[in-house]
Amino acid sequence: MLRPLLRRATTLLATTATLALLALPARAQIVLGDAIPMADVKMKNVDNKEVTLASTAGKKGTLVVFTCNACPWAKAWESRVAEIGNAAMAAGFGVVAINSNDPSVNAEDGFAEMKKRSKSLKLGFPYVVDATSEVARAFGATRTPEAFVFDAEGKLVYHGTVDDSPKDVAAIKNFWLKDAVNEVAAGKAVTTAETKAFGCSIKFRGKAAKAAS
Amino acid sequence: MRVRDTPRYCAAMRPVPAPLGAAPAWPTRLARVKRLALVVIVTAGVGAAGCGTAPGERPAAVATPPDSSALELVTAEALHARVREPGARATLVNVWATWCGPCREEFPALVSLAERRRTDGLRVLFVSADFDDQAGQARAFLARHKAPQPWLMKSGPDMEFIDGVDRRWSGALPLTIVYDSNGAPVEFWEGGADSARFEAAVAPLLASSH
Repeated sequence: MLRPLLRRATTLLATTATLALLALPARAQIVLGDAIPMADVKMKNVDNKEVTLASTAGKKGTLVVFTCNACPWAKAWESRVAEIGNAAMAAGFGVVAINSNDPSVNAEDGFAEMKKRSKSLKLGFPYVVDATSEVARAFGATRTPEAFVFDAEGKLVYHGTVDDSPKDVAAIKNFWLKDAVNEVAAGKAVTTAETKAFGCSIKFRGKAAKAAS
Repeated sequence: MRVRDTPRYCAAMRPVPAPLGAAPAWPTRLARVKRLALVVIVTAGVGAAGCGTAPGERPAAVATPPDSSALELVTAEALHARVREPGARATLVNVWATWCGPCREEFPALVSLAERRRTDGLRVLFVSADFDDQAGQARAFLARHKAPQPWLMKSGPDMEFIDGVDRRWSGALPLTIVYDSNGAPVEFWEGGADSARFEAAVAPLLASSH
């Protein structure tokens, strides 16, 4: 008599557990209002000096972009990332581009190529190596490019992509990242705080690298 | 609407947008006709001037017949309608792109799974997220790997498609979602996987009695 009840209870528990798992995000991600994670971790810049996110934070805010050299989406947006980053620097932001990819997956994501890319794009801000991919994990970054904007208090106010047209600049309708930076610089609330776009999965180092790439 | 091969100008391969609407969960004859109206056949002259191939990819050695050169544009809504179509115990959706290394690596395992488990009730839907002007490369890749039809290509604004497919999706590729026979997602992950993981994801659904 109890068996059917037990069976139902087991089924219910299994269903609840499955639904709970489905509700979880694929990777824990920082959310709007959160502080810059792992701000004191030293990362090697293309000039061979070590920088931290804390040391590069600006008075107006901080822009962090996870990117790389090899991903076609990162390439499609790289000149706009450079342009927005340089403008943000001029506006009093701290700006850092981070490469968290394991270069053993694609040699183009190596340090030498980062140096070349930084030079050719005339980056006025650091382009650093996340040598363990732990910074990307702490942000919950999953793809390249992926941008995070923090306000003057160091709280996350924008997370997402650059704009809505990676390949055709003339077709851009929404300049999400640029607008977010400008709004933060002006002390305003960000109008569109979360956006998405396709991107290459980050080639994480270590155990996660096997699962993600 | 069909766009014929454009041997000289790859940019002209850009699919002509068609009005896209929602297909019902259980398609009627009319709905099928409607869906056909949504289809834009994208063909490309493989190896034509300026087309090139994705990094690490070889051009297709054998020309494919016209029917297998079809790429059907789908919105997230239309994709969900495909998933809910009857006739499968499980549907695996894989969003990939020719430029995506992990996508290319896992592709043979997925094609093998689709073949091996088709008679057990598995339906595999490949959805290309390539740029519009890379449709020819996507088609050549699918043909070379003998990927099962239908060959789908995402349509519409990226963010709308990403959130429409699954709000958990960050946009990273590849994406794999396994749905049960009712169209409910039971497995979801971003990033590449191997045969064992694919098999483990579909096996319980294919083993379930109906």
